[in-house]
Amino acid sequence: MKIKKALGYLPAFIFCGFIFTFMALYFALPKADFSPQEKKKLADFPELTVQTVMDGKFQKELDTYMSDHVPLRNFYVGLSADYELVSGRNGEKGIYLGKDGYLFPKPTKDGGQLGKNAGFIREFGDSSPVPVYMTVIPSSGSVNTDKLPFNHESYNDKALTDSFASQLGDNIIYTDMTVPFSEKAKQRQLYYKTDHHWTSGGAYECYRLLGEKMGYDPVAEEDFDKETVSGFYGTSYAKSALWWVAPDSMELWKNRNQPADSVTVEISDGDDSKTGDSYFFRKQLENDDKYPVYLDGNHSLVRVKNKAAKGGKLVVVKDSYAHTIVPFLSQNYSEIIMADLRYYKKDISLLAEQEGADAVLILYSLDNLANDTNLAYLF
Amino acid sequence: MIFSSLIFLFMFLPAVLILYYITPRKFRNLTLFIVDLVFYSWGEPMLVLLMLVSIVINYTAGVLIGINREKKKLTKAIFIISIILNLGLLGFFKYIGFIGETLNFVLPFLNIPVLQVSLPIGISFYTFQTMSYTIDVYRNTVKVQKNIITFGTYVSLFPQLIAGPIVRYEDVAQQLMERRETLEQFTQGVKLFLVGMSKKILIANEMGNLWDAVRDSGASGGAVGAWVGIIAYTFQIYFDFSGYSDMAIGLGRMFGFEFMKNFDYPYISKSITEFWRRWHISLGTWFREYVYIPLGGNRKGLGRQIINIGVVWFLTGLWHGASWNFILWGVYFGVLLMLEKIFLLRLLKKAPAAIAHLYSIFLFVFGWVIFYFEDMGEMGTFIARMFGSDGFMMSGDIIPTVISYIPLLIAAGIISTPLITTLYHKIKSKPVLYAADNAGCILALLLCTSSLVSSSYNPFLYFKF
Repeated sequence: MKIKKALGYLPAFIFCGFIFTFMALYFALPKADFSPQEKKKLADFPELTVQTVMDGKFQKELDTYMSDHVPLRNFYVGLSADYELVSGRNGEKGIYLGKDGYLFPKPTKDGGQLGKNAGFIREFGDSSPVPVYMTVIPSSGSVNTDKLPFNHESYNDKALTDSFASQLGDNIIYTDMTVPFSEKAKQRQLYYKTDHHWTSGGAYECYRLLGEKMGYDPVAEEDFDKETVSGFYGTSYAKSALWWVAPDSMELWKNRNQPADSVTVEISDGDDSKTGDSYFFRKQLENDDKYPVYLDGNHSLVRVKNKAAKGGKLVVVKDSYAHTIVPFLSQNYSEIIMADLRYYKKDISLLAEQEGADAVLILYSLDNLANDTNLAYLF
Repeated sequence: MIFSSLIFLFMFLPAVLILYYITPRKFRNLTLFIVDLVFYSWGEPMLVLLMLVSIVINYTAGVLIGINREKKKLTKAIFIISIILNLGLLGFFKYIGFIGETLNFVLPFLNIPVLQVSLPIGISFYTFQTMSYTIDVYRNTVKVQKNIITFGTYVSLFPQLIAGPIVRYEDVAQQLMERRETLEQFTQGVKLFLVGMSKKILIANEMGNLWDAVRDSGASGGAVGAWVGIIAYTFQIYFDFSGYSDMAIGLGRMFGFEFMKNFDYPYISKSITEFWRRWHISLGTWFREYVYIPLGGNRKGLGRQIINIGVVWFLTGLWHGASWNFILWGVYFGVLLMLEKIFLLRLLKKAPAAIAHLYSIFLFVFGWVIFYFEDMGEMGTFIARMFGSDGFMMSGDIIPTVISYIPLLIAAGIISTPLITTLYHKIKSKPVLYAADNAGCILALLLCTSSLVSSSYNPFLYFKF
């Protein structure tokens, strides 16, 4: 009888147990200063003084502190993602779960930046003494249409890139990727499932296509040895919080005819600099997000030299998609200078002139092109 | 501080429960009063002084009226002064900007400087509560509260301080002075609190997102989009407000209080008269008790009754906010109630239930349009869109958004009716009941917490420099 009665009060014990444990964990668990997953500094416990309480500063900062240091944060975020999914709201966190474990960032929207960027690039092309090539990489969702979930916003990458390309003028040699990629996607995986980036296979297809216009002979696929690395959880995975989605494996392609000591990579971010002797920075493979294995991720200026290549000097103005394709281009250009306008805030025309570049390649994903406001630094 | 926040759930509430229950019974009101002040001053440390002023005014008025009970003229004067002070504070802090703007609009040559006063949270609620006390003391229907801590606890009781229900002093006077908290009542409180929190976090907030998305989509929503949007808002406001009331009543029970029910499935009403008996019951009760009946109610003929309804509904509208659309909203319901009183109610009684439901649903949903838009121009555009000015169908990205909310819209519709509660009360088997209770509690705790936590989750993808 007593037990039965106690059972009726169980909700009260569950509730109190939950909130008291939660509070205790706040105090008991060690506090991290930095979240590698969200890549941000976490809040310190706010300063408690009469002054900070009276002006509400303490209260506000305590709110931030509490949300930054929630015990079992990933568990709760994952649970909310799962709940959103089963209650019909696939994509609530900005990422759709598609078929075969594909995660797709929601479609790119253009708020007018594409047109502005087309204007900057056209002007750059008009004043450049060397040929300027350009291509835009469409998004995974616009290419893998058969993998999309049944209910999704429409991907207008083709219309957006077409309209963008039409504004580039006569001095930009533009290569469309939307049509060939949609074709190629039927044969091979061009994009990672858990990341917005393209795979080495995707980058290789682009490299082959660019060769026609840029006038080099692409190295045949058979000449590459492919090393597979598993356990890659990309940015779409982190955003989606669908923790049960399977990781990607990635391929590192190496030209077996390339001499071992032919490559040097010089990385500089303002005053900091470092060098490497491979396209691949294996230390990055220790992280969940392994994409920076290619050329060590985002840097201001990266110089890639290949003694074995016959071609000249190429300047690449780019976002992170280029990190996968530059190792291929490096087979045909003895020196590639890669500039990222998000960090490199100097004049690109000047850079190309000083370096004596033979050509410039502008390579962006549509999403970055539609959002990046740094293309004014081209000239 | 709001209930649906990490800081309330996992810091304030556990701390308060501990403090409250380790305090000897004699001093529990004092403990409550202190934590109430902390709760209130969390967001605005200075405005807590205003609430203290309000407590002192009404406490003093009550005591003075009690002492001078025999001197009719003096008590009347004290009473009138306290009412003027109460309404004066409310008027100044809530309506001064509105009054200035309206005067400038009507008499532009006056060019009155419009004062920008920030609205103290909950002032409409606690002012009405304190007034209920002073009025009842004056009418000699309740005893004077001589203990200012007890009175302060009544006014500032954190569960219902900032969003109701508006508890009349009369209803809790006994509980304030002697209450026995029981585990039974505490458990009931926990369950109701979790129901309320789930309504607020899992339904109201999501419906709010849908309503925002529909408004952002503008003309591309068409008539269908506009209706889906306003229906989402209809659900948002009900689940938000009734969820908050449930949380308040539930928290009250955890501390041994019993507050009146504030919502009784308003959306199943078959007339607007019924709707207002089921919606925000504590406010309706207040206006009936302290405005409508003193004005003569329905005892002085139909003509006078119509005028009384008009006054009450003008004030009800005004109480909801310092903007003309709220007055319009109040008057809209006032007129509907008059029409129902005169003839519509008789017709509705004879009509098939489906017709009466559709009639009510259409009118209260339309009412929320008036309630939402403070800008008359935007309201006009939206109403035109509801009736086809931007075409019928939705187009573009709003379609997948609306589709993704269909399951929640259906759930909200079902939970707006007593269906689930009825089924719950049909459970006779104790083991099934325990299982349902406990599973429900765990699920509510986990889902609500995960939703709170995830709202601050933001993987930052490109960082550097």
